Amino acid sequence: MIGAELVRDGVQAIAWSALGPALAPAVAALVLLAVDAVVGPRRGGRWWRDGLALAGLVVGLLLVVPLRGGVAVTFCADATASSSGAAPTVGCGFVASPLTLALQVLILAAAAVCLLLAVGERAESPGLPWPPWPRTEHHLLLLAATAGACVLAGARDYATLAVAVETASLPVVGLVALRRDGRGVEAGLKLLLTAVLSFSLLVLGIALVYASTGSLHLGAPLDGTLPDVGLLHGVGVALAVAGIAFKLSLVPFHAWTPDTYAGAPVPIAAFLATVSKVAGLTAMVLVLAIGAPELADSWSVLAGALAAVTMTVGNLVALRQRSAVRLLAWSTVAQAGWVVLPLAGAVSPHRVAGAATASIGYLLAYVAATLTAFAVVVVVAQSHALGDRHGLDAYDGVLRSRPVLGCALGFALLCLAGLPPGVMGLVAKVVALAPVVAAHAWLLTSVAVLNVVLGVAVYLRWAVHLVAARPETTPAPSPDGGSVVRHRLGVPHAAALLVGAASCVVLSVLPALVANPLG
Amino acid sequence: MSALLVLLLVAPLGGALVLLLWPGRGMDRQVRTVGLAASGLALAVALLALTRRPWASRHAVLEVDVPWIPGLGARLHLVLDGISAPLVVLTAVLGLLVVVLVTCGPPSSALPVRSARGLVACLLAVEGGALAAFTAADLIVFFVAFEVVLVPMWAAIRWWGDPHDEPGRRDAATRFILFTAGGSVVLLLGLLLVASAAGTTDVVTLVARQGDGMGRTVQVAAAVLMLLGLAVKVPVWPLHTWLPAAHTAAPTAGSVLLAGVLLKLGSYGMVRFVVPVVPEGFAAVAPVLGALGVVGIFWAGLACLVERDLKRLVAFSSVAHMGFVALGIASGTPQGLQGALFANVAHGVITSLLFVVAGGLKDRSGDADLGVLLQRARGGLRDRSPRFGGMLVVGCIAGLGLPGLAGFWGEFLAVYGAWQADPVATGAPVAFWRALAALAVLGTVLAAAYLLRVLRLLWHGELEGAALSSGVLVGTGMGEQDGSSEQQHSLTQGRPHARPDTPDLEVLHLPPGPPAAGDVSPALLEAGARAALHLPRDVRHAVAVDTSPNETAVGLTLVVLSIVPGLLPWLLLATTEPAVLHLLAVDRGLV
Repeated sequence: MIGAELVRDGVQAIAWSALGPALAPAVAALVLLAVDAVVGPRRGGRWWRDGLALAGLVVGLLLVVPLRGGVAVTFCADATASSSGAAPTVGCGFVASPLTLALQVLILAAAAVCLLLAVGERAESPGLPWPPWPRTEHHLLLLAATAGACVLAGARDYATLAVAVETASLPVVGLVALRRDGRGVEAGLKLLLTAVLSFSLLVLGIALVYASTGSLHLGAPLDGTLPDVGLLHGVGVALAVAGIAFKLSLVPFHAWTPDTYAGAPVPIAAFLATVSKVAGLTAMVLVLAIGAPELADSWSVLAGALAAVTMTVGNLVALRQRSAVRLLAWSTVAQAGWVVLPLAGAVSPHRVAGAATASIGYLLAYVAATLTAFAVVVVVAQSHALGDRHGLDAYDGVLRSRPVLGCALGFALLCLAGLPPGVMGLVAKVVALAPVVAAHAWLLTSVAVLNVVLGVAVYLRWAVHLVAARPETTPAPSPDGGSVVRHRLGVPHAAALLVGAASCVVLSVLPALVANPLG
Repeated sequence: MSALLVLLLVAPLGGALVLLLWPGRGMDRQVRTVGLAASGLALAVALLALTRRPWASRHAVLEVDVPWIPGLGARLHLVLDGISAPLVVLTAVLGLLVVVLVTCGPPSSALPVRSARGLVACLLAVEGGALAAFTAADLIVFFVAFEVVLVPMWAAIRWWGDPHDEPGRRDAATRFILFTAGGSVVLLLGLLLVASAAGTTDVVTLVARQGDGMGRTVQVAAAVLMLLGLAVKVPVWPLHTWLPAAHTAAPTAGSVLLAGVLLKLGSYGMVRFVVPVVPEGFAAVAPVLGALGVVGIFWAGLACLVERDLKRLVAFSSVAHMGFVALGIASGTPQGLQGALFANVAHGVITSLLFVVAGGLKDRSGDADLGVLLQRARGGLRDRSPRFGGMLVVGCIAGLGLPGLAGFWGEFLAVYGAWQADPVATGAPVAFWRALAALAVLGTVLAAAYLLRVLRLLWHGELEGAALSSGVLVGTGMGEQDGSSEQQHSLTQGRPHARPDTPDLEVLHLPPGPPAAGDVSPALLEAGARAALHLPRDVRHAVAVDTSPNETAVGLTLVVLSIVPGLLPWLLLATTEPAVLHLLAVDRGLV
């Protein structure tokens, strides 16, 4: 077990290898900043920035490998605990357990794909009339948010959790407003206000929990000497959940989602839909499953109510959307409900671990399918006259005219709907429903049944456009008088699409990872 | 690990994948080659599997068992035993027949713009999914296979369905997929409940346990959920409303697979996954299932008596046949179950035959309305299209349950099983079951009535003599003739969604004699009639075109398959008997 020597010369020793996956993107961000300050914003040779950022993420993924199969701890409070053979996971600020590693892999991979999507955007595309990408700023913010999310995955005390949540959220505000146009600034402002509000709720909740336990570590026992300590603890956990629910876009904390996704550049919307959601679920699992497992019978009801309302509202509104990005935004709201659904099956403390695992399994399937769908939307937006405001009819006949895009999007939509050949999505739905059925929560399961049907309607409504006959219209001319040229798929976009589609297909044939992501 | 089983599934699914990913437009000949190869291979493997004699023992003769999703405890466990063997062979035969129907015929107006490549891919995918469902021995594998057939069937209805009615096609396809997806999720809830209560998803283990270790409440809840989910597929009244629309809109090949294969998934699921796995729960719910089955027989029968659209009529007759299947399963006796399984196979063959005829007639005349078909086949199919007529006769007579044809034994054994149902186990008195049996027998009278009506109209040809020579066939919608309004007993009066004024058979008689419309020429009248009916322009002559060679081959095969089980019922009954007895734990002396 790594982290054995906790104190050396009176200074707490840090097990750097445990922090490796979280440090790699942070180090890459700092190196990028430093070199860019020296080299300056030259147009030529801009690929080194992209390469450096991507290298930071890939190195982080590689650093996960040596940590597998064990539990690495660092920032532990109890220096003598290491002398015994048992892992002192309570009392340590950072733990690299299988849960942590699974989440970190998901975060780093999703961030890498979002980076590829952003890197492939061409400055001269007709749908993007703004100045070329400020690449250094984009990569810096993306790496910072990713590092924060990776630290969040391993955080086991409330202070680290709060700092990590903010580190994962605030850079995204900058990313959303990166285009420096009216829509982006408005979306960024909405996101900033939401982030601040959610953080304040989270911190208030953490304060109450700290007041009731006397320790900042997750899962610390309650202080029996205080009156009404159970109530204090419960309210604290509820407030913390409310704060985190903003990040996950659970209803009724979802109001920021459609406008922010529509105002941000599409690769950033993809980042919001995947990495931010993973960070949100991570925080939720930490606060509930690891922080308060003994309250499972209460918070499972809360989780169930949130999930039911979120799924239904998300699906119902998604049925009315005509813009592709907005439909995806509402679809992520509905899918967030599905992600939280298994937590409703944790009706007793011994079911908590299974419920959390099921949530993460569904999250994996959701991230793979959503990334693929966003990748296709990015490519289509690049060559469409309306840019990212294009509607569903931009996809008419795509299966015939651009079969790679059409197949990828069709498969991703079927995975999100949970219909074969998108077996990954089907198994994900089975995995999500299993804990709820085992807990005999029949009201919740009937809502889930309704939402499966609604979800099929939502995604098939889009999928039929792929096969519809292409309207014979001439392409709209671009501002400089030339006609719109259909760009060939660039290398970064092709790589992103390949990773997304391949993960969907592989997980459909071998869905073992969806059912047990910690394996 | 049986290579035969793997090949059985890989052949049609691989064929579908090859056709989907084929670069370029795909010439018809390539589509035909790949389609015939895939479905032919599946049939060959299925027949080869029969040589392993699945009837000889109550256990599986072919098995595949590999780990698949350890997190859910699901293994890729496939078996072939006496219950699944007949359905596997039926699916493989129907799969080959529909591919022949689609790819080997003359170019038809029914497949206007889209190439057959996608349709054949969809049909092969449905066949592969159904084969996987029939051989699944794990709850999760069954569920995945159950779902595999949804999207290809939806696509077949949506894009290759009735070319004249696009909104109807869209609506039917949407209704099909939403209904069946909802039913599938309810089924999933039941399966997950069983899995969590029993701790395993393996069906062989669950059948051996016969529900031990699961409390009565859990069993009843699981039985209700699973039966609800499967009842959408069977279909059991009142969850049948998606079926008539789907059949009307589907292409002929799609209807054949829908009726012959998809509907079997529901009843097979009941026999395999509900009856032996949660026996107490099933017995508690069985009276309801039986009663709903009988209601379905009557409801569908009465609807058929006044139905104008031939495809909808056959669809409703499907609902009636499956009512017998539901009754047989609900009875819980070996005879009832054997009858249900027999009726499954028989219905698959008979209804496929009827759909081949109905679809062929509809493709040629653009409409399946009995009146329109009657008008086209002046003199009846007997004279104008004897091959169609012969197929129709065999199909109808087999459908009404004449002894000596396949339909009889299933219905007979189902009714017999209901008569013998155990009042103690099912909680309903003997009188209840016997009343259901009696009502079911009355239902066969209804079946005779509506099927013979079809024969009388189409095969004999109701029109005779002078009315034909006047050239007047319809009287509605033509403003210039005053007398036309009197000829309201026209054939076009009852469109599929409206009821005629009287449900009497006389409504289809034409008023004899020439019209009272003065000196309007017959040619103008006929042109007006055609316009009013929205007939395609190539329907000029009164002679209906008879079957093409591929349709003849397909029809002949189905005719033979309708007759052989009727004359030699032991072929099927001996195959299913050991496995059924094992399911009901009779052979272990527990029942």
